[in-house]
Amino acid sequence: MEALLFNVDNGFLEGIVRGYKAGLLTQSHYSNLTQCETIEDFRTQLSATDYGNFLSNEPLPISTSTIADKATQLLVDQFNFLRSNAVEPLTKFFDYITYAYMIDNVVLLITGTLHERNTQELLERCHPLGVFDTLPALCVATNVEELYRTVLVETPLAPYFRDCITAADLDDLNIEIIRNTLYKAYLEDFYAFCTTLGGPTADVMHRILSFEADRRSINITINSFGTELTKERRVKLFPTIGRLFPAGNNTLARADDIDQVRSACDGVMEYRAFFESGPASGAGARGNGAGAQDSTAHLLGELEDTSAAGELEDRFFVQEVHLNKLAFLQQFQHGVFYAYVKLKEQEIRSVTWIAECIAQDARDRIQDYIPTF
Amino acid sequence: MGDEYPSLFRSEQMSLVQLIVPTEVAHDTIAELGELGNVEFKDLNPDVNPFQRSYVGEIRRVDEMARRVRFFSSQIEKDKDKVPIRPLYDSAPLLTVGPRAAHTMDELDVKLAEHETRLIQMNDSYQLLSERTKELVEARHVLRETAVFFERASGYQQDVRSSFDDSSAPLLQHDDREQQYSSSNIQFDLEFVAGTIERSRLPTFERVLWRVLRGNLYMNHTDIQEPFVDPTTGVETRKNVFIIFAHGDTLLAKIRKVAESMGATLYPIDANADKRAESMREVTARLEDLQVVLFNTGINRRAELVTIGESLASWQDVVRKEKLIYETLNLLIYDVRRKTLIAEGWCPTRDIPMIQVALRHATEESGTNVPPILHDLKTNKTPPTFNRTNRFTEGFQTIMDAYGIASYQEVNPGLFAVITFPFLFAVMFGDIGHGFITFMSAAIMILLERRLLKADLGEIFGMFFFGRYIILMMGLFSMYTGLLYNDIFSKSLHLFASGWSWPEDPGNQTVTAIPNGHTYIFGLDPGWHGADNALLFTNSYKMKMSIVLGVVHMTFALCLQVPNHLRFKRYTDIWTNFVPQMIFLQSIFGYLVVCIIYKWTIDWETSPTGPPSLLNMLISMFLSPGTVDPDTQLYRGQSTVQVILLGLAFVCVPWMLIAKPYLEWKEMQKIHGQGYIGLGTDEAPRDISDTVMEGEEEGNGRAVVEAMEEEHEQHDFGEVVIHQVIHTIEFCLGCISHTASYLRLWALSLAHAQLSEVLWTMTIEGVLGMSGVFGIIAILLMGVVWFILTVGILCVMEGLSAFLHALRLHWVEANSKHYEAGGYEFAPLSFASLDEN
Repeated sequence: MEALLFNVDNGFLEGIVRGYKAGLLTQSHYSNLTQCETIEDFRTQLSATDYGNFLSNEPLPISTSTIADKATQLLVDQFNFLRSNAVEPLTKFFDYITYAYMIDNVVLLITGTLHERNTQELLERCHPLGVFDTLPALCVATNVEELYRTVLVETPLAPYFRDCITAADLDDLNIEIIRNTLYKAYLEDFYAFCTTLGGPTADVMHRILSFEADRRSINITINSFGTELTKERRVKLFPTIGRLFPAGNNTLARADDIDQVRSACDGVMEYRAFFESGPASGAGARGNGAGAQDSTAHLLGELEDTSAAGELEDRFFVQEVHLNKLAFLQQFQHGVFYAYVKLKEQEIRSVTWIAECIAQDARDRIQDYIPTF
Repeated sequence: MGDEYPSLFRSEQMSLVQLIVPTEVAHDTIAELGELGNVEFKDLNPDVNPFQRSYVGEIRRVDEMARRVRFFSSQIEKDKDKVPIRPLYDSAPLLTVGPRAAHTMDELDVKLAEHETRLIQMNDSYQLLSERTKELVEARHVLRETAVFFERASGYQQDVRSSFDDSSAPLLQHDDREQQYSSSNIQFDLEFVAGTIERSRLPTFERVLWRVLRGNLYMNHTDIQEPFVDPTTGVETRKNVFIIFAHGDTLLAKIRKVAESMGATLYPIDANADKRAESMREVTARLEDLQVVLFNTGINRRAELVTIGESLASWQDVVRKEKLIYETLNLLIYDVRRKTLIAEGWCPTRDIPMIQVALRHATEESGTNVPPILHDLKTNKTPPTFNRTNRFTEGFQTIMDAYGIASYQEVNPGLFAVITFPFLFAVMFGDIGHGFITFMSAAIMILLERRLLKADLGEIFGMFFFGRYIILMMGLFSMYTGLLYNDIFSKSLHLFASGWSWPEDPGNQTVTAIPNGHTYIFGLDPGWHGADNALLFTNSYKMKMSIVLGVVHMTFALCLQVPNHLRFKRYTDIWTNFVPQMIFLQSIFGYLVVCIIYKWTIDWETSPTGPPSLLNMLISMFLSPGTVDPDTQLYRGQSTVQVILLGLAFVCVPWMLIAKPYLEWKEMQKIHGQGYIGLGTDEAPRDISDTVMEGEEEGNGRAVVEAMEEEHEQHDFGEVVIHQVIHTIEFCLGCISHTASYLRLWALSLAHAQLSEVLWTMTIEGVLGMSGVFGIIAILLMGVVWFILTVGILCVMEGLSAFLHALRLHWVEANSKHYEAGGYEFAPLSFASLDEN
């Protein structure tokens, strides 16, 4: 059925997004980029790719954050173009993609306000895909209920938030709990939405979202070691989807150290590899690199970021890229749009990482990016 | 053969030259060659990354300069008043060659940087000032609007108070009295927040506040009429003044926080009317001061922009050229020990003296005495294809290049397209009137050529303008074929005495024209016009004519193989390809053409047999060879002739199929017989005599570059066979389908004639009979409608369609007979082409 009717509404956009995908940097581009001596070389190299002249009007010297901003702006422009040309249910699908960024922005803003940062500065650091009208007003809130009442009630995040209202007041732990509860609700909702779409979209998106859910469960478990988060509350944060659910999640809920996490993941072939070299031996330089790289993505994210967790995170990213690449193997489905956004995001992270290495003259770690294609 | 007179028949003879340029004159040499525009440089360091090449630093510097120049031009564009930019031909040339070149560039770099800092500074201060002005203007608005609000509120207040007075406590009365004493207004004990906010955000702002204050929101807002314009980006924003009343410090703080985070600007407003009036005065005074300063800054900035505009065009030019020069220099090999650059490139052999002169000139200019050295290299690489065109032939050549670039020194179909293209077009478009309109429009474009060349015409008109000479020729030829068809806006011309006379019969019945012995001298007899069987006649005539033209055109195209075979020394191909193909084509379709013409020459009225159908004749020639129905016989001995022709055609098929592979195979056997075996990587074994080999060994005293790795594909016997099989099948089937394809000439010509007739009857004809004032008006109106439709539909739309079909006939039907189109275009380094994009 999709083969017959999909292109009526979405054929154009799928063509566009596949064209965008063809413009993603390839391995040879990356190897050229890593050979650059200076940021100006880097700019010259990038201008030969689909990035084109996106930096040509910037006065020298160019900072890495400018590169990241400009590259993100390109992604946002592409996304907005796709979104404004979409029709239902693809529009809804695009909305769902933005919810994840909204959650990040909300948490970023609350955390920032808690630490008394400048609101304007925080707003600039928000991801442009997740900005909504009432976002700035978040900084007024001092407790969770107020947060919900004043701002979030009219955003699409409102239904996800209902479960968090019980949380008493805002502190770092609670914010982290809010983030994970929101994310759990979001993933479950998105998963359900994809199920209603059915067909190959459901197949592809379930695969990606399941992995996302499992990744969160594992991260929550590892990060909760040694904190005051009780096991009962930990269970509540696990998304009820994914390949670890329910058996693996139950084991995770009881886990006290990383070995138990590993045994929980033993049930799934692909996840076994994540723990293979083990945290004891694998805490090398590579892990550190990935940790620093993730700092852009998880700005105020994980509570503890040990080298082991960093390496795990690195492998998660590789697996994510792999799954997103698989999405392009199937036609007539919405998964490509999600996959493209994620891949492009990963690419921006990699490009920024390389630029950062060049700027700080850290040649030995320049190879630690995660290639997309 | 470089001294041959340049022609379009074959592409230019090219030479691979090597330039050895001392580093100090390298820049000037490239600049000079760029002005000349006839050397294509080869990339001699393809393995080197773009940023590891010798001149990256210079390129980066030029890029930075280009960025500054772009910044200037965007600033000039954004300015509200138009800043004049002095055109390039008017401004003094900025010399970047010669001994002072480096100095000039440094100076320019510094100058650009200075201008940039100054402009940025001015922009900053201008922005700062306008920001402040904006704030003051907003403050004034807030003051004014709140004043209005307070006045209105005080009115209410008095009403409310008066009703309260009786029951209120004396303490309050005391308060009231005191306030009335101090001012005419009543002091509010409510506290409030006032400010401005963007209009688009107002609803969100209101909603958030409503929720923050739990529904207890008392807010007032009014629109500010005039928009605020950002001075640097020119974006308009519209704002609203708002005032919110609340009680309690916590709430007020919360409101302030929300307002600030939503991007609102707050202004401290006093509830006291006097203080308000005072601050209003203060604001107005400051605003006036600021505006004066702002105005002066604006004037300064504009003066700066005007100065920049004076020389912007020449800067742009210099920067673009410099970038191109350094990019070209990066293609060269840099020999550090000898301080020289080595360039290799293609150039037309004929232009080598000119290039020598340019090199000498460059040396003189730069003031050194070490001239660059130019070598002619011998190579077996295929040179690029370069056809020298002028304004007239450019369009026709482009048509053929769009199909494919000719192989090096191949016969160029673009030359013949100059005549055949407009002619085939005109066969479909034949009408004197429409042809004249087309001709005139092209003539106007050509007369205004100089002016239009400079102007930016836009994509669509630019395309027409580019093809102006094609259109001119098409118009001319259409007038000629229009004369042949005797067609002017679907009417006929009576130029000569008609061969038919109509009987003088007033009766309302069908009449038959009688031949009167005249022969109409040129074109179609106007007597056919309006006759019942006119369509029958023109159809048959045009159909046969299309076939005749088609076969002639294909035969001609086929003949163009011969010069190719001769030039590339493929003599056997004449016998294995050209001759059988020609016989095949002529024995079937050439015969048909002869029959058509023969049939035309016979007066069938007086013939004993009826006119035979030529189509049936051709079909039965294949289906029942040897038998011809005597009733439909065209001439005596027809069956014998047809059997012989058919036999010839059938012989040609295996001839084409087998002869060439057989010769190849024999050649190979011969080479193997001599004891040579082809090595995997080396060139295929050649059959050459000893003298040639000796000549090559000695190099004839010239530099010989033999790069074997490319160009030489292995001649596989199987490949030759497959190629030949495909070629044969394609040709034999193609002959039939291509001949049929030429029938489009008839179909389009018919459609064109019919359409113009329909247009005539549906517009003008209806009103022609009317008389009086009304009749004149109707004719005028209808005339205009008719003319517009004639130009729009018949000339432009029909013209485009006929153009397309003529294009197809050239690309597919004619080019497939001889055109290899395996070349690549000559892309010289040229500053002139820089301006085009």
